[in-house]
Amino acid sequence: MSLYESAVKKPVMTTLVFVGVVILGLFSLNKLPIDLLPNIETNTIMVLTTYDGASAADIETNVTRPLENSLNTVANLKNIKSVSRENRSMITLEFNYGDDIESLTNDVRDKLNMVKSFLPEGVQEPIIFKFSTDMIPVIMLSATAKESLPALYKILDNKVANPLARIDGVGSVSITGAPKREIQIFIDPLKLEAYHLTIESIAQNIRMENVNTPAGTVDIGSDSYSIRVNGEFKDASELNKIIVGSTGGKTIFLSDVSIVNDAVEERMQESYTNGKQGATIVVQKQSGSNTVQIAEKVLNELSAIKKSLPSDVKLDVIIDTSDSIKETISGLTETVLYAFLFVILVVLAFLGRWRATVIIILTIPISLISAFIYLGGTGGSLNIISLSALSVAIGMVVDDAIVVLENITTHIERGSRPNSAAVHGTNEVAVSVIASTLTLIAVFFPLTLITGMAGVMFVQLGWMVTIIMTVSTVCALTLTPMLSSQLLRLNPKRSKIFEKIYLPIERSLDNLDNSYAKFVNWAVRNRKKVVIFATIFFILSMLPIGFIGTEFIPAQDNGRVAATIEMPVGTRMEITKKTAEDLKQLWQKKYPEIDMINYSVGQAASSNVWGSLQNNASNIISLNLRMLPLGDRNRSMFEICDSIRADLDNMPEVSKSNIIAGGGMSMMGGQSTLDVDVFGYDFEQTDKIANELSKRIAKIPGLVNVKVSRGEYTPEYQVEFDREKLAINGLNISTASNYLRNRINGLTASLYREDGEEYSIRVVYAPEYRQSIENIENILIYNQQGQAVRLKDLGRVVEKFTPPTIERKNRQRLITVASTVSGTTIDKAVSEINAQIGEMSIPSDIYLEVGGTYKDQQESFSDLSILLLIIILLVFIVMASQFESLSYPFIIMFSVPFGISGVVLALAITGSTLNMMSFVGLIMLVGIVVKNGIVMVDYINLNRERGLGIIHAVVTGGKSRLRPVLMTTLTTILGMLPMALSNSQGSEMWKSMAITVIGGLTVSTVLTLVIVPTIYAIFAGNGVKRTRRKMRKDSLKV
Amino acid sequence: MKAVFIAFDQAYYEQILTILNYAHIKGFTRWDEVQGRGSKTGEPHFGTHAWPSLNSSILTVIDDVKVKPLLNDLKALDATSDLMGLRAFVWNVEDGI
Repeated sequence: MSLYESAVKKPVMTTLVFVGVVILGLFSLNKLPIDLLPNIETNTIMVLTTYDGASAADIETNVTRPLENSLNTVANLKNIKSVSRENRSMITLEFNYGDDIESLTNDVRDKLNMVKSFLPEGVQEPIIFKFSTDMIPVIMLSATAKESLPALYKILDNKVANPLARIDGVGSVSITGAPKREIQIFIDPLKLEAYHLTIESIAQNIRMENVNTPAGTVDIGSDSYSIRVNGEFKDASELNKIIVGSTGGKTIFLSDVSIVNDAVEERMQESYTNGKQGATIVVQKQSGSNTVQIAEKVLNELSAIKKSLPSDVKLDVIIDTSDSIKETISGLTETVLYAFLFVILVVLAFLGRWRATVIIILTIPISLISAFIYLGGTGGSLNIISLSALSVAIGMVVDDAIVVLENITTHIERGSRPNSAAVHGTNEVAVSVIASTLTLIAVFFPLTLITGMAGVMFVQLGWMVTIIMTVSTVCALTLTPMLSSQLLRLNPKRSKIFEKIYLPIERSLDNLDNSYAKFVNWAVRNRKKVVIFATIFFILSMLPIGFIGTEFIPAQDNGRVAATIEMPVGTRMEITKKTAEDLKQLWQKKYPEIDMINYSVGQAASSNVWGSLQNNASNIISLNLRMLPLGDRNRSMFEICDSIRADLDNMPEVSKSNIIAGGGMSMMGGQSTLDVDVFGYDFEQTDKIANELSKRIAKIPGLVNVKVSRGEYTPEYQVEFDREKLAINGLNISTASNYLRNRINGLTASLYREDGEEYSIRVVYAPEYRQSIENIENILIYNQQGQAVRLKDLGRVVEKFTPPTIERKNRQRLITVASTVSGTTIDKAVSEINAQIGEMSIPSDIYLEVGGTYKDQQESFSDLSILLLIIILLVFIVMASQFESLSYPFIIMFSVPFGISGVVLALAITGSTLNMMSFVGLIMLVGIVVKNGIVMVDYINLNRERGLGIIHAVVTGGKSRLRPVLMTTLTTILGMLPMALSNSQGSEMWKSMAITVIGGLTVSTVLTLVIVPTIYAIFAGNGVKRTRRKMRKDSLKV
Repeated sequence: MKAVFIAFDQAYYEQILTILNYAHIKGFTRWDEVQGRGSKTGEPHFGTHAWPSLNSSILTVIDDVKVKPLLNDLKALDATSDLMGLRAFVWNVEDGI
């Protein structure tokens, strides 16, 4: 018994099997997480190493290089990048998509352990982070407080940051702008000198005084007692009483030589939200974890946390990235539902029968829901790609069911009983239904085989559509005949109202059939004219190709803007703060679309991961803007950003600014970036080249935010010790420089404990004694004999400029000239840049490389182009095997070029770009457009086999296949229409794909309806002539 | 005893079975898929791409009295549809075991 026969004979089993599939699918759907895109992030591991007080160059030689050399041997490494800047080295290891980040982290940890002993003393333990700098925070919280402000850091650290950091998947929780308590001991160097004391000895004394010692146990009588000395300070003021030495028989207290200050850290970052000062808490996620899930967990945790906080501490969510993801997904879900509605209407209009429509429509939810089982099983998520897959498939899944149902109806009309009509009707079309599904699978299955960036994006799409199509075919071969056998009747009665509505539709469809038949009749008799017209049309339609730009992933308006604004180096924090405040006032007035402005100013503490990844200094303002939802504003985020850039250009006090629309989501739909990497060791040379290049790039229209990655040179004082003089005095560089460091940077003597918390006790010169070169020169350095020498006697202090950051990529120094593409397309920008580079004279030891989004785009586009060729070949193979002929598939393939003309026209008219999504749309098109051709050629063949002449076969075949072709095409087009028209957040992503498919399919269908019959007639005519000629020859021989 | 050979569109099978039961005809031989073409009208039943439908055929040997009612019933069934096709032929049976 065949599959359909048993399905028809066992309606209960058939129904329940599909009910089971639907239940399983809904169960999986319930558990599916929501995300913006499939797990697309690069696998990155970051190693952050702090070496306080070291300059960028020192960091590069002493920390970054040894670490890089060792980390370079980690398996599967794709790129190793590093940034060495003052105090810290940041190495980013980039791996391929899909590598196991856990085992790689262990690998990295092993390598770090090996190299650790080669690092200089004072370098802190390297920290491994499983995320990259370009990852935007998941959630940003603001905390404000009144009475608790001085203790805010500890409160937030303990009660907010720690519990949040424990959440699975959270990469880091950083607190910015909360004052951190510290006990400072400000030393007066003159008094120190007078008493012959050093910072080191004072620190030593403090350390010795601040101890608790268990002294053992004693037995007294029948009991044992432990004896302890509790020497730790119970109050910061106790420090004043510490004896740090004696002179002339008199004891010297710490208070004699210093001021003990129980205060907050000296250099700190201040953060403001809508003008109110408070702390900002930034939650970042680990590579590969789900934003929406984390945001949900964080918000859940927060409600519990809020109860435990002191009553004056208020926590608010500034940015919740999951909001925009949820909005995007709900927008896309809406389009899927609209598509469903449109498809129902099309089917109803063409069939004109309720029962038949219900039978066909049932295929849609069943096949779509079955795809959720796949997603649930593979750990996928509901994202733009998987939902787009549903939207793409929704119009195609009904095709098979329509073909089956149509044939069953024919059988019933001929007089079969529904039961046997269902079996025999299905039997007749089963092979062609499977073949047409195979052509689609030939298109979508190869998508699952791509690797790299494009692979991560489209593997899911490929699998989803393949599975949906397979299930829909199974459905069409089992459920559809079963339901037809149960529900269909011969000539069912139509209600009067339905008749009234439907009659005009039916009449116009009949008219369409007739006029189409006339037109095809004309076309096959005027083949030359048709071919010439088609060729001219094709050539003309290709003309706008020059106007279509390319892009990687379309930029998305998610209402978030991140900005870094730099004032001249060395600007005091107060002035920077004032500027930030002014900007806030200005922008709030000028752009009512801005909902929230958060900014921080100043140097970040070393413990602040988020802060230390950003550029931060007293002259830098980091801003985060949040705009009203897309529907509530007239201007797009990109317009506002352009206007903000213009504002900043008019402010002379701003030396540099970088406005990132999309909030730095560099990979995921932010504006495209174009980086030119200038590799070369010599600072001066590379600087010259980079600056020249940046000037040239800035002149190219459409490229904004041009900036050179190496920051401005910071003025710095270098102490150049004279080794001879040091040796004479019994000193060496490391001792001498340590003395210097302890006085300027300070020495953490010990930890002050209070209520279970630890605060550092820092011994340092009082601020007024570290403000001039003389202060530095007068520092006393003691040798081992206790003799004091002034620093100026051992060397000299010179002023120099050094680059604040040294960047390296794959162990080579580089400068990146980065720019943002706004108002032009990437390919045009790149050719402009290449032209500019060609005009420059570049030394041989420096080389330039265009990177950024461009590189990703090129890689992906070349992957996709190869894929397109493979798919065309596969589709040809499937068709050739179905027709057992090489010429029929060739005829059908004529619809592909017209599909491309449609794409070109649609993109040009709507002003869209060719990006990853539209490219995939183009690939899908190949499978969809040939389906129409298959249907037509198949039926024309059938007519000829039944003995009709070529022209008659073509005309009647065309006429009878017009409705199925129009119906399947319209379901696909209308299924995609809501995607093309949608205006919700994130629609930029899927819009271009839908436009591509709609444009290509419309043009190619209209032309296929004429071209394919015409070319068929040409080929068939030639074939007949050839046979006749051969027959004549053979008869002559005889 | 007469042999009745019935050739019909596959889809008629169940209806014909009902007719046979109704006429108390128990024994028959059936070929599920046979191909054929009518002499005058009717679509060919070849099971090919051009003519996908197929015939079935039944051979039943019955008492003479049962032949006429059976043919009448079959004729009535055939009249329901022009396109399906149903034919029956009768001849004598000499002997049997």
